[in-house]
Amino acid sequence: MQWWCSALGEAWEWTWRAYPGVWAFVALMIAAYVLVLRATPASAAEARDRGTRAAAFGIAVASLWLVLDWPIGALGAGYLASAHMVQFLVITLVAPPLLLYGVPTEAYRRLPPRVLSVLRPITHPLVAIILSNLIAFITHVPLVADPLLASQLGSFAIDVAWIVAGLLFWWPVVAPVPEWPWLRGLTRLAYLGAQLIASKPLFIYLTFTKYPRYATYELAPRVLGITARADQQAAGLLMEVGGMLILFVAAGILFLRSMSREEALDVSEAGRRP
Amino acid sequence: MSTSTRRAAAFILGVGLAVGFALAARLSRGGAGVDETSLSGVVLADPIPKPSFTLEDTEGRPFAFQERTAGKLTLLFFGYTHCPDVCPVHMANLAAVLNDLPLETRQQIEVVFISADPDRDTPERIREWLDTFDKRFIGLRGSLEKVNAILAELRLAPVIHGEPDADGNYVVGHPAQILAFTPDGLLRAMYPFGTRQTDWAQDLPRLLRFTATGTLERLEHNGGGES
Repeated sequence: MQWWCSALGEAWEWTWRAYPGVWAFVALMIAAYVLVLRATPASAAEARDRGTRAAAFGIAVASLWLVLDWPIGALGAGYLASAHMVQFLVITLVAPPLLLYGVPTEAYRRLPPRVLSVLRPITHPLVAIILSNLIAFITHVPLVADPLLASQLGSFAIDVAWIVAGLLFWWPVVAPVPEWPWLRGLTRLAYLGAQLIASKPLFIYLTFTKYPRYATYELAPRVLGITARADQQAAGLLMEVGGMLILFVAAGILFLRSMSREEALDVSEAGRRP
Repeated sequence: MSTSTRRAAAFILGVGLAVGFALAARLSRGGAGVDETSLSGVVLADPIPKPSFTLEDTEGRPFAFQERTAGKLTLLFFGYTHCPDVCPVHMANLAAVLNDLPLETRQQIEVVFISADPDRDTPERIREWLDTFDKRFIGLRGSLEKVNAILAELRLAPVIHGEPDADGNYVVGHPAQILAFTPDGLLRAMYPFGTRQTDWAQDLPRLLRFTATGTLERLEHNGGGES
């Protein structure tokens, strides 16, 4: 039995397969979250939004489970570059901001000073965006991706690397530690805009090629009659369109939140006036 | 400048240098050792002449392999249409690259598929299966004894049929390589499973240069370029 999805080289079958490693991973995340909640009693201010944060964390874990387990996990690891791209988008762009937001602020404050001293420099916006894109690029280089996808441990390493890349990228935007507000107001939108540009080289690399880049997908038995080339082009387009859509939604949320905060400030200032 | 900004700047510089060195090393390696005459396939030190045999094509007509493919780059593959992995992937990758070739070049290449499973592979089924890749692919069928005799002539292992399961399905053991007979009528290279589209794109024009009037080596010495 396989514990994590990896390339098998066998013909694809729409028959459910169990991946206990994925279940254990999801269970560990939930267990860790419950422990964190127990260890950090909610302050009066935090108690109100604990439910929202828990829901965000739950959605993040559910989305990770969805793309790591059968069928998307198995298709992405060994059959379709486009499924691999769906995994990439969810693991790096959808789940991480929800994970970061889901953890109570107090839990970040209680991190050991040594951990905080490591986190502080690597979550600097410039470092975070470079590092996260570097991880994304390296894990998409065929010389790296093909051998890793062939083994369960390698495939697991790619997924974990993507989660790390996603957490790094989103940290300056979500700013889970209020004492480190790396980015404020519209600079967050500029940061998301910079990501649109930073992801372009990978999009170009994947889409504008005559021949398939990855041996894993080129030599895998075909699924639903999709050719290796069409699959890779679909992966590139998904990256561009899907990534853009997610970043635009995030930018919209940030903009609306920033507007409502300004309105609240105006109201409170008006209330103070004699 | 704050400590964290200094650390961030140092980190970026470090990462930049590491990436720069890695790219420089990769580029310097890439330029070395490129051999124009090298083929991606397994090159035979002792090329084998194209065998002479006649099998039935998908229209039920006799197909004399040696005569009908004379003077052309002939890519021969022994497989079966129920094959779940190797055969369709090989055929699809080859078809994708052939589709990109200029018509003039494409017309100099024949792809011949010989069924290793004549019991299940009817002429109609072979035609239907090949058409999903390329309508120009030639499908041939003959008795297993005849197919194994051809394989023996090509110094390849015979076809072996596995035990049928409860549903009557069985796997077929067959050579997984595509055999490349150059236009001069010799089997010069074999392409095992794992051959990429980039390999085909690189090798097909090179294989075409092994003509009856001059080999690749001679052309290279005379300064002939790739077509």
